[in-house]
Amino acid sequence: MNKLTYIILSFSIVALSSCWLKSSGDNTGIEYAPDMYYSKGYEPMTQFSDTAKYRYNPYYMTMREPVKGTVANGQLDYQYPFDNTAEGYAASASLVAPSDLTKNEQLNGERLYLIYCSVCHGEKGGNDGKVSTKQTVLKPAWANYQDPYIKNLPIGNIYHVLTYGKNNMGSYAYALTPRERWAVADYVKRLSAMDENGNIPAVASTTTMPIILNDSLTQSK
Amino acid sequence: MVNHPTKKIFQFKTVVLSIVLLLNLSLFAQDAALSADALAGEALFKANCTSCHAMNSKQLGPALQGVHTRRSDEWLVKWIRNNEALRASGDKDAIAIFNEYGGAAMNNFENLTEAQVGTIITYFKEWTPPAPKAVVTDGAPQEVNFYSQTTLYILLFLIVVLTILLLVLRKTKNSLKQSVSEIEDEKEEESAPSAFKTKFEYYKKRTNPTIFKMAVGSIVLGGLAAYGFYFGVTEIGVQQGYAPEQPIKYSHKLHAGELGIDCKYCHSTVDKSKQASVPSVNTCMNCHKGVQLRDKYNGEISPEIKKIYAAMDYDPDKAAGEQYGNNPKPIRWIRIHNLPDHAFFNHSMHTSAGVSCQTCHGPIQEMEVVQQYSTLQMGWCINCHRERNIDVENNPYYEKLHAKIKAEKDDKNSSYAKYFTKDGKIDIKPANNGALECSKCHY
Repeated sequence: MNKLTYIILSFSIVALSSCWLKSSGDNTGIEYAPDMYYSKGYEPMTQFSDTAKYRYNPYYMTMREPVKGTVANGQLDYQYPFDNTAEGYAASASLVAPSDLTKNEQLNGERLYLIYCSVCHGEKGGNDGKVSTKQTVLKPAWANYQDPYIKNLPIGNIYHVLTYGKNNMGSYAYALTPRERWAVADYVKRLSAMDENGNIPAVASTTTMPIILNDSLTQSK
Repeated sequence: MVNHPTKKIFQFKTVVLSIVLLLNLSLFAQDAALSADALAGEALFKANCTSCHAMNSKQLGPALQGVHTRRSDEWLVKWIRNNEALRASGDKDAIAIFNEYGGAAMNNFENLTEAQVGTIITYFKEWTPPAPKAVVTDGAPQEVNFYSQTTLYILLFLIVVLTILLLVLRKTKNSLKQSVSEIEDEKEEESAPSAFKTKFEYYKKRTNPTIFKMAVGSIVLGGLAAYGFYFGVTEIGVQQGYAPEQPIKYSHKLHAGELGIDCKYCHSTVDKSKQASVPSVNTCMNCHKGVQLRDKYNGEISPEIKKIYAAMDYDPDKAAGEQYGNNPKPIRWIRIHNLPDHAFFNHSMHTSAGVSCQTCHGPIQEMEVVQQYSTLQMGWCINCHRERNIDVENNPYYEKLHAKIKAEKDDKNSSYAKYFTKDGKIDIKPANNGALECSKCHY
């Protein structure tokens, strides 16, 4: 072997390592101790192909349903008394928002509205969100939130629709806790009371207790 | 100018052509334009009906294209104004359609006069499907991945060919040189060698040949080892740039960029839990119950949206109440960002502290295919914990910390007083708040 062979050999090592062993596209690249990366235990968002081994999650679900007949700590309000029927909708008109919604929770209602509702219903409830203007989505019968229909709609009905969805609108119970749904319904009512100059009534609550965004912080892992 | 006969013919042709074209245009214009009645009907249709009906696809109610051929005008007027009465009168068609849609009753529109309903029916009659757009074969433009496997093989092949070429050229050069030197040997005159070469030869002559070889070898090996170390540190177990092809060609560029949907709309648990969570299919269905892109695919549902329906076992063309089957199959998304088990990371802690998604995940709203943007190495974590400022004043998450710092502002012995800058602002980093503790992330 002469000098040249050594040079070619070392160059090819460099070339190989920078192509094959690097992560890009479908290639994760070279891994050290993959046992640490691909946990043996069940991890969220990690889906296994071995059904026999992971028989407790045969559908490879990433989000899980609560165990039947159980209520998690502090989540009693997840129980909702009405069914997803026309009768349930009518009955929900009697519901009112919890009286202890804090100011921050009400302000959070606006933030949540902008995340979850404004894509279709528009920032001020004009049904002019980007999705409903750029795509062919069925629009509601009323033009905007300032329509008398929404103005006179009981807040309980709005909560019911947020929980189950209606017509082409889906349920938002997957993303919003009951109190968050009440806060959003509250903001919808405040939007419907918006005057011609675009002034939205201020939040009613004066309680300034901080919202707890995150229960898991105190219980972490 | 002389009128050339061919030119005349040409002119004649153009005149005829333009007349034909004009005729065609006017005919098309007649086709597309709606009569005044139909226009009034269109306005009424859009105001009252489109929350449940569409012309060319089935929504909450049936598709209305050609409905006037299926039912008589009188029947339609009766049905639209008061379908309840029509059903009560025992009309078979009315009861059949009511049952087909799972007993979901249509509203009565007695506020519309018979003449108004008539204009809506005229609109149905004059409605023509929009001209199909050019067929798009694929939802997203085909990504050309530079680093695909084939390119790699081509590159390797090129490397081999080029090295062979190099060897051959070198050999010929050497043999040529030899023959030249043989000729020039007679002259006994050599051009002066380079400084490096003389030094190299000098040391080669002065040292023991074995030791010399070992020295050169160790220099080469040392270089390789340095490269190996660098590669190991920056590449092994680091998946920056990993961008696998997902089961559905979901484009973040379209959804998060052009449509401006907030990240949290789909990754809804990001401020409540450790994981940002991949959304379940019902989140997709919030929009894609309606958005089927049929006009882009000549009346067919987009192939990528069909995959959502397959996962949900949903058939939009079936009757209401039967659209959802019993055989849903979850979409098997491929996880991109993966931390080893020995490192703990919680999304909600970071979002409540005000870290935006793009800080770690990069410009997701511009990515057609999502790739891992950051290295996710420990040094990368630590850098941010050292350099980023905590916004204690405006973030309710830090209310207690802020109160503590404010209360002890003038206390000389307080450990918090030092976080006040000279101009009275608070300058505190996560590192000052315990974010460098080993056991915060490793336990």
